[in-house]
Amino acid sequence: MRQVPETSMKTEMPLSKPIRRFLTQTEELLDTEISLLRQPEAEPGGTLVDKYTYDMDTNVIIFPAQYVGLLKDFIIAKHCTNLLIKGAATEKRDYKIVSYTEDSVYSGLRQIYIDALKDEAKKEKKLPVQKLIQMLFILFSQFNDDINELPWNAIMNASVYHRMPKIRKTQLYHIMKESKNDMDEMIEHESIIPRRYFVLDKAMFYARDMFLAKTLPADELMPVLNIPQMKKFNHLEVKEMLTTRWTHTAWYQSKVFGDNMLAIIDKPLGQVNWKVDEPTLDYYYDLYKVGVLVTDNLVSYMTMRDWYVWEPPRHLLAAHEKKEEYEKNALKKIFGDLITDTWEDSGS
Amino acid sequence: MALKEAIELLKKGHAYAKRTKYKEALGYYNRALSLDPRCAEGLFLRASIYIDTGKYKEALEDCDKALALNQNYSDAWSKKALALYHLERYDDAIVASTRAASLNGNDVNAWYIKGVCLDEVGRSDEAQEAYGRSLELEIILDIQAESKKVRK
Repeated sequence: MRQVPETSMKTEMPLSKPIRRFLTQTEELLDTEISLLRQPEAEPGGTLVDKYTYDMDTNVIIFPAQYVGLLKDFIIAKHCTNLLIKGAATEKRDYKIVSYTEDSVYSGLRQIYIDALKDEAKKEKKLPVQKLIQMLFILFSQFNDDINELPWNAIMNASVYHRMPKIRKTQLYHIMKESKNDMDEMIEHESIIPRRYFVLDKAMFYARDMFLAKTLPADELMPVLNIPQMKKFNHLEVKEMLTTRWTHTAWYQSKVFGDNMLAIIDKPLGQVNWKVDEPTLDYYYDLYKVGVLVTDNLVSYMTMRDWYVWEPPRHLLAAHEKKEEYEKNALKKIFGDLITDTWEDSGS
Repeated sequence: MALKEAIELLKKGHAYAKRTKYKEALGYYNRALSLDPRCAEGLFLRASIYIDTGKYKEALEDCDKALALNQNYSDAWSKKALALYHLERYDDAIVASTRAASLNGNDVNAWYIKGVCLDEVGRSDEAQEAYGRSLELEIILDIQAESKKVRK
């Protein structure tokens, strides 16, 4: 069981009317309890610790201490939606996420290594072998995390946008912030990561952003928001804001991958009816199935089908426990006995 | 001398409150207030503990006492608004949060509570205005918190 740190503060906190209703509806639909927790070091996007993933009786939504008003409300709305999707799938005995096995780790690491060698052959300044070996599993894990997060992020945002019109401006700020963080991720490792994976990872986030820009077109941040740091986006619509940003990244030249991924995300999500009056658990189960389809299609597009497996959440938790063993065995299979010394030298 | 001692006790209590050790914090605040019953800050701090432990009526009483000592104590108005919100006295909470926000325009909590309570009584347009101001301030706080993280 994942423990909630003792330093956290749990209080009855004020909530705006639509969020309070949504929270109650979520608890009633799932016949469960949701606790809210404010933590100084919480992730900017908040965290959901839920009974469908971890061995625990309740669910906790954790958010940063500085979120005292609508930012907190948005995080709650987003994670309640996520919880409903997970709960609905669990109810149907079908809740699975993208996990990995010893064999799939080998497939992934081997593929990344082959691609890395192709990149290295073109480089004047070669990457030290040690660094290259370390990079393999880190990159594999990164894609595992991202593929488990990204399609659901798009679904949650689209759902909240349609269900909670009163917090749209808050949502827009949050999306802008999240997009910036995701855009910056990996940038510092650009020279180490094989080009193909750098491009694919950025393409996923670009596609997510462009899907959201298309889904959330109506509102502008101005004139209600009057914040110096947001001035550069003055009078721009969401799509313009996000496109402007992406065009300023070095990645943009490879945007064809992002456009293809946008089509992959957009096709199934474009058919969802987001405006159902009284969504039932069956509705959220349908959202789950759409998320699975998007995930599958993205994995196929990135030719990572043999890297990952669909399994219940506890499988992934168990896989995380064994990740060092999986990594070590995969590296042994790829490099033979040569790896033993390198592994021991690196202190792993 | 007693006043100085009361301030020290309040500081100790506050240190406990920050670590969510409410019982200990309350003990120090009570001792401070027995030395100086007219300490508005002590009453405000005790009201905060009462809010955090769900004792909203007691919180309201302390806020009122603090405000009787200092009518321009913006934090006490803000805390009073929060206590009134929890007691579902939305109209009174609107008055208190409006006063808090007029004394301190940068009080994000006051603007948010005002928005929530206006929404509760069906004054949606006014609620949106209050939410708008609350969001602006919250975003500024968020940007500051993120910059601090980067500097660390």
